[in-house]
Amino acid sequence: MAKQRIFGCMILLCLSLFLTGCWDRRELQDRSFVLAVGIDTADAGNKPGVKPEQELEVKRTETFVQPHDSKRYRLSLQLLKQETSGNKKQETKTYVISNTGDSLFEMVRDMLGQNSKSLWFEHVQVIIISEAVLKQVGLSEVLDFFKRDSEMRSRIKIYVTPGDARSLLEYSPPSKEAGGIYLADLVRLHTRNNHVIGMRTDLGFINQYLDNQSNILLPQIQMVDKVVKLGDTAVFKRDKFVGYADEYAVAGLKIMFGTEKSALITAECPNHPGHQVVFELFRHDTILTPHVEDGNIYFTVDITMYGNVGELQGDLELDNTMDPQYIHKLEDVFAEEIKRNVLYAEKIFKKEMRVDSVSKFAYKLKAHEPDTWEKVKDQWDELYPEIPLVISVNIFIKNIGAHR
Amino acid sequence: MANLEVKTHMSALQLAIVVFVTCAGAQIMLSLRSLIAEAGQEAWISVLFGGVIFYVAVYLMLKLGKNYPDETIVEYAPRIFGRVGGSIVIFWFNLLFFLQIIAIFYGVGKVITFYMFDRTPPEVVILALLVVCTYCALQDFGTILRLQQIMFFVAYSMLMVIWMTSILNLQPENLLPLWPIHIKEVVTGGFSTWSLYGGYECVLLLLPLVYRQVSFANLAKVVGGAFGCLTLVFVLFIVIIIGVLTVDNAKSVPYPVLLVIRSVELPGTFIERLENYLLLAWIPVVFDTLAAQMFFMGQVCMRQWHYLDHRPWVLLLVPMIYVGSIMIDNQQVYDAVSNFTMWAGLIFSFVVVPLSLILSWRQKREAGTGCG
Repeated sequence: MAKQRIFGCMILLCLSLFLTGCWDRRELQDRSFVLAVGIDTADAGNKPGVKPEQELEVKRTETFVQPHDSKRYRLSLQLLKQETSGNKKQETKTYVISNTGDSLFEMVRDMLGQNSKSLWFEHVQVIIISEAVLKQVGLSEVLDFFKRDSEMRSRIKIYVTPGDARSLLEYSPPSKEAGGIYLADLVRLHTRNNHVIGMRTDLGFINQYLDNQSNILLPQIQMVDKVVKLGDTAVFKRDKFVGYADEYAVAGLKIMFGTEKSALITAECPNHPGHQVVFELFRHDTILTPHVEDGNIYFTVDITMYGNVGELQGDLELDNTMDPQYIHKLEDVFAEEIKRNVLYAEKIFKKEMRVDSVSKFAYKLKAHEPDTWEKVKDQWDELYPEIPLVISVNIFIKNIGAHR
Repeated sequence: MANLEVKTHMSALQLAIVVFVTCAGAQIMLSLRSLIAEAGQEAWISVLFGGVIFYVAVYLMLKLGKNYPDETIVEYAPRIFGRVGGSIVIFWFNLLFFLQIIAIFYGVGKVITFYMFDRTPPEVVILALLVVCTYCALQDFGTILRLQQIMFFVAYSMLMVIWMTSILNLQPENLLPLWPIHIKEVVTGGFSTWSLYGGYECVLLLLPLVYRQVSFANLAKVVGGAFGCLTLVFVLFIVIIIGVLTVDNAKSVPYPVLLVIRSVELPGTFIERLENYLLLAWIPVVFDTLAAQMFFMGQVCMRQWHYLDHRPWVLLLVPMIYVGSIMIDNQQVYDAVSNFTMWAGLIFSFVVVPLSLILSWRQKREAGTGCG
């Protein structure tokens, strides 16, 4: 009996060896959290005034020997500083390291030579790609590493910048937030800002578009005089960068696709030209529908918006918002403005860039007229710019705000 | 010490739960990509079609079992096909469980290693799960049945609650067009759903526990209900995957279920990376599917070689299962094994079982004529 007890105790002791911790554990203090990723061309960021020899020194520390001696990209990572108890008042919460090379994954691993802790990508908030890179290679090639790695999240925001991505990563927000979080949050309120394309522009959706061979729109971010701003949109045909569309075109597109949730529509006061009236959207029913008649394809977009008078700069005595006649006049003015905005977006995307943005029209045709889609899908790129769009807009002002 | 809670009978509802739990297991994570690649936009119709045809297969099995209410297939197969033929049928029957088990172990090892424990070799994950499943399979059927009933209410409800959060990202337009239906793809896809529905063959072992308790009509109705639930679960998975990812995206990723759940952001909460929660709910589901199938394999061997206890057979099968799952060392081998298992399962269900039924009717008629 005693022997059995001793034997049992020994077994329990042996089993406890397996309870010492997780095989796959990674201690928090042993990780460096990557918050933002910037991708530039390898020669980007050469600062004016820096001697070429000094520049070369920097490159040597930031790069590694490759047999074919080619460096295509500069990869910059924004890492979160870990606060220690004696160092609470830090100027910035992040720091940036970078490297040059051909393979993004190889550069990441080589950066372990610049950082004492392992790089942890589970909290990446944003990836910023410079326009210069996208002029050389397709978006698919740049994003492959990120869509393959299991640490990446689907909701990572992706921006395009006409300047250097690294300088945006080095930017310290005035609010003292961590830079990557600040940059990612800029797009979160896109439903309340007509000028920012934000719907379906994160890594998960971009992978979906790439797999579907769809066209892509990404927000443009730039820094001018230490001011960071989102606006305009980078337009891709499949994964090839074709240019930027301006903010007014973005607004028109968002209205057309019904991705606006709380937009502002600004127009001239009908009674006082030069003064502005603003419509604040609360709810809308926007339906984009394909039609096929006798083999001819056309689309209709029916926009119905309900909202509020948000601002009125005219003469309050003459512009009486309590007067239904005046409200009808305003509704007509806003409807006209929306129509103008949508037609402008049509002109930019369809006529000038000749891109079916996010392949929305193609999706609609495929979903609702599959037989026609089968016939035209191979010539869609050529056919799309010639397809008419019939616009109908109805505005209903439901409230005038807290003052007449 | 194993719990020898011998079960001599169970209700029709309990059989339905066993069928549901044995079928709806690991494959919801592992098989859906290939189904979507095959059936495309109409994959959900294939699942509905699969539900109908595999219910027909189960119905035939119930009919066959009714002719031998106190015996399992292991006992009556030699009487129908002769000693050699019967042994081949029993071997085939057991091979189906074996192939499903090793494919599931391989898949689980790969998924868990990739998404949760990236430093752990898949062999270790497989071994750990195998140990737990073996312990469960060493119990008698009473314990396994109780476990399956608990899992049916606990693990599956957890799994479904977590999965349904992905409805937040559903884009109904991704499911269009619903028409025209490509009949050939739908039918081919329907038969491919065997990998989802596979496991229902267990009724051929369990019917003696039920037949003395309930009528055939009641049994057919209740098992039909189990198939209805299975079909609903699979359709929900397929519809949400296509609705969130689109067909082209879903067929480009190895585990579309995990990609779908990964992209969920619950507004106003700090809960992130829902794929880990889904995997945590999936592991018990996999466990009880595997444990039940290992138990069934042990039972077949025990009855075939006239043993009184299934436990030595379960222990004997363990190294074979481990080696089998380790030998599937890449996706191509896995696809080949899955394909072979599907064809073996389809032939068993739609050739061997109907043939057994015809032969058994003929033998009974001849016996009746002889007596008369």
